[in-house]
Amino acid sequence: MVALARKTLIYEWRRFLPAVLSVGFAGLLQLLQAALVLGIFGSASVYVTGSGGDLWVGYPGTQSVNEGRAINPDLSTLLLMDPAVRSVERFHWVDGNWHTAKGHSGEVSVFVCGINPEPNGMMFNHVLSQKLRARLGEPDAVVVDRADLAKLNAHVGSLASINGRQVRIVGTTTGLRALGGVNVIASLTTARRLDGDASDAERPTYLIARLKDPQQAPRVAARLSNHNGFGPYQVWTAKAFARRSVLFWLFDTGAGAGVLFMAGIVFLVGAVITSQTLVAAVVGSVREYATLNALGVGVRALRWVVLEQAFWVGALGLLSAGVFGSLLLILARSQNVPVVLNVPISLVCATLIMALAAVSGLAAMRSLRRADPATLLR
Amino acid sequence: MNQFIHNTSHAEGTSLVAENISKSFHSGTLVTTVLDGLSLCVEAGELTLISGPSGCGKSTLLSVLSGLQKVDDGRVLALGENLTNMDIRTIERFRLDHTGFVFQGFNLFPALTAQEQVELPLHYLGLPARAVRERAAEALREVDMKGRRHLRPIELSGGEKQRVAIARALAKNPALLFADEPTSALDASNGQIVIDMLHHIARRHRTTVLCVSHDPRLVAHADRVLTMEDGRILSDRRVASASASTTHGNPST
Repeated sequence: MVALARKTLIYEWRRFLPAVLSVGFAGLLQLLQAALVLGIFGSASVYVTGSGGDLWVGYPGTQSVNEGRAINPDLSTLLLMDPAVRSVERFHWVDGNWHTAKGHSGEVSVFVCGINPEPNGMMFNHVLSQKLRARLGEPDAVVVDRADLAKLNAHVGSLASINGRQVRIVGTTTGLRALGGVNVIASLTTARRLDGDASDAERPTYLIARLKDPQQAPRVAARLSNHNGFGPYQVWTAKAFARRSVLFWLFDTGAGAGVLFMAGIVFLVGAVITSQTLVAAVVGSVREYATLNALGVGVRALRWVVLEQAFWVGALGLLSAGVFGSLLLILARSQNVPVVLNVPISLVCATLIMALAAVSGLAAMRSLRRADPATLLR
Repeated sequence: MNQFIHNTSHAEGTSLVAENISKSFHSGTLVTTVLDGLSLCVEAGELTLISGPSGCGKSTLLSVLSGLQKVDDGRVLALGENLTNMDIRTIERFRLDHTGFVFQGFNLFPALTAQEQVELPLHYLGLPARAVRERAAEALREVDMKGRRHLRPIELSGGEKQRVAIARALAKNPALLFADEPTSALDASNGQIVIDMLHHIARRHRTTVLCVSHDPRLVAHADRVLTMEDGRILSDRRVASASASTTHGNPST
């Protein structure tokens, strides 16, 4: 078969270049936007995804990790009584104000995460090295994200105060940046001391459980729910709670709607430019198409040629978006910009791009109506 | 009149029959009658030339006889099949199987070589790849373009482009070959070559070649010349064989 679509695309590449570029840019925008959204809003669940627990127990209806309220500490007994549970630990959340001892930087809102600093602790075991965990055991010790040091006007070893009580930065890590504030990791003991509300000091915000078989998490979570006598509580699997936190930030804050709106605009603009370029290409060859039709090549077969062209434009655009997107993501990572891209989201972006090309091809197909062979007779 | 049609439509070698056909175009309230109750028989193995002044309806006659347009009244029989009742798919298939076209503009795809231009429609006939290649090469040889089969349109002269266009139509082995002003865009010598080729195709392949032109140079090369005016056939004469000359034209006139 003579590859008419492909040969025309190569021979007349200047004509198709705007379409490839528009698909490529649309793809790049979708990809980077998705990576930024996942990176930024993914940090809403860093407490869950950066930790090793399989179940999270918190106040009922908690939408996002940072919205937790104190729960009954006796719930740890309930958890430990279940044969599927291997271990349980506390997570104490304290909202605080950071004040640097030196300088006049004012106060910064911080989220103090009181965790079990033991070597086998579950909380933040993916983002804290054993060495840092050990140092958290020291009095007043805290760890922050490297990228937040400037915001806190601090450095490793410097002293500061949270809620008026002294803390000392003993080290930094990465991947801990928070939404709307700064995460400060401390031991449970230090965090309790920093909590301004004494009534909550002994009440954890969350209990985290590790199971003997993590696959059983949904079943165990269901089993542990609805027990009376422990006050209000709710059990989530880690995956569900992380997802809940991200979705809350995405949709309940209006940010998600903005992102979707932007994605829609990008799609629309990309489709308009691409379809117009493809229409111009079809119109440019309309007499040739009409001749083929006169020779008996059906309109349906000609439509396939146009769709195939759109497919190749989409594929080339996708390829260029992939290459440039990867380079930009590497650059962003090196600059501590929170970007995350996973396979499902990449596939969604790729599907959107090919859909854009397909929609443009369908729009361009309409101009084949002008390929009426009767118009060739004069 | 019906007796006349009956006789002609079944005559030996008759491949195209128009029976009392009419065609009008509407522009707002203005109705222009382009074909006005015209009847005609075209023989196989001949080069039939339709000539006449601009706007006389000769191109429209070509388009309805080739199935590109439908008539308002009357009927068109091509190779014994009634084109009038066919739906668009059937008529496209009929054109694919039986007709070739040569237009004034060569209408070649800029990206394809001469060989590929000729191969392209053949693929849609469902021929195996090897047969497609061979048929295309043979058609290009017949129009004396074999040596330039790897060239793209931009590298060919006007005459060469038209020869590729003829090869494209010829490679399908069509029973009916329609040519609309095939020499208008060519100089005298290239025009001569093209008309000789069309004549040769009619004789060698027993193809019905129906050519519309107002180029007076072509008249000497045609087997039969039909002159049209105001949507009717004014005269019908045989050039090569005077004995076959008739003037049945439009029986209603």
